[in-house]
Amino acid sequence: MAARLFVRRRDGRIEVRLNDAARAIAREAFGHVLAAEVDPNHEWHASLNAPIDPSHDVDDPLATLSRQHDVTSNVELAVATLGEEFLNDAEAWAWLCTLQVALRATITAKGIMTTERLDGADESTREYITTLQAFLFSLAEAM
Amino acid sequence: MPSLKPLRVSDQSQTESVTATMTERPWNVIVWDDPVTPMSVVVIIFRRIFGYPNNKATQLMLTVHHEGRAIVWSGPLERAQGYCVKLQVAGLLATIEQDA
Repeated sequence: MAARLFVRRRDGRIEVRLNDAARAIAREAFGHVLAAEVDPNHEWHASLNAPIDPSHDVDDPLATLSRQHDVTSNVELAVATLGEEFLNDAEAWAWLCTLQVALRATITAKGIMTTERLDGADESTREYITTLQAFLFSLAEAM
Repeated sequence: MPSLKPLRVSDQSQTESVTATMTERPWNVIVWDDPVTPMSVVVIIFRRIFGYPNNKATQLMLTVHHEGRAIVWSGPLERAQGYCVKLQVAGLLATIEQDA
């Protein structure tokens, strides 16, 4: 049975049981999301700015601004709590959102939109995806 | 749901009624499937953003998984945009479209 990476404690907080190597992977993912949000040349930037209403050429600017603000808020909170042993509810939600954004940005940037494409991806990409999925599985279970 | 009943019976009011019906058509928030997002994560996100009970969130997640997409909410444009933004911020592939 795989070790749980995140555990809900009786006081409601979520214990982070990531070792240094796992925290380094989370740090890298959070860093990419933070960079992609402000850098239009980052390979994840397009994924973070998918159209809200594909029937229009340009989305409602207020909706777009709201998304940028919320993504940035989540990733900043996630980065600020990277070294924490325990997360409160808001921090755990920020981690979940940022990890999920990183996961989806990874597959979008590499054009992996089907199971067949995923199976055919290179080993390092599949390993990275599997690692983020393991984080997300455990965090969702704890939440 | 928008009302389809004419406001009045004159030609002019019938036109107004059709216009009102068109503008009142609800907007759907759509979530699209992808090959990597854990099912439990989708359920958590639906519960958190919409406040859906576990059964409804799970049913919607399964619809996304099996049919490739699901309408997860319908209503006025501004609220649909708001929900779509929240879903995208949570990392799901979401869009809006006006009901046919």
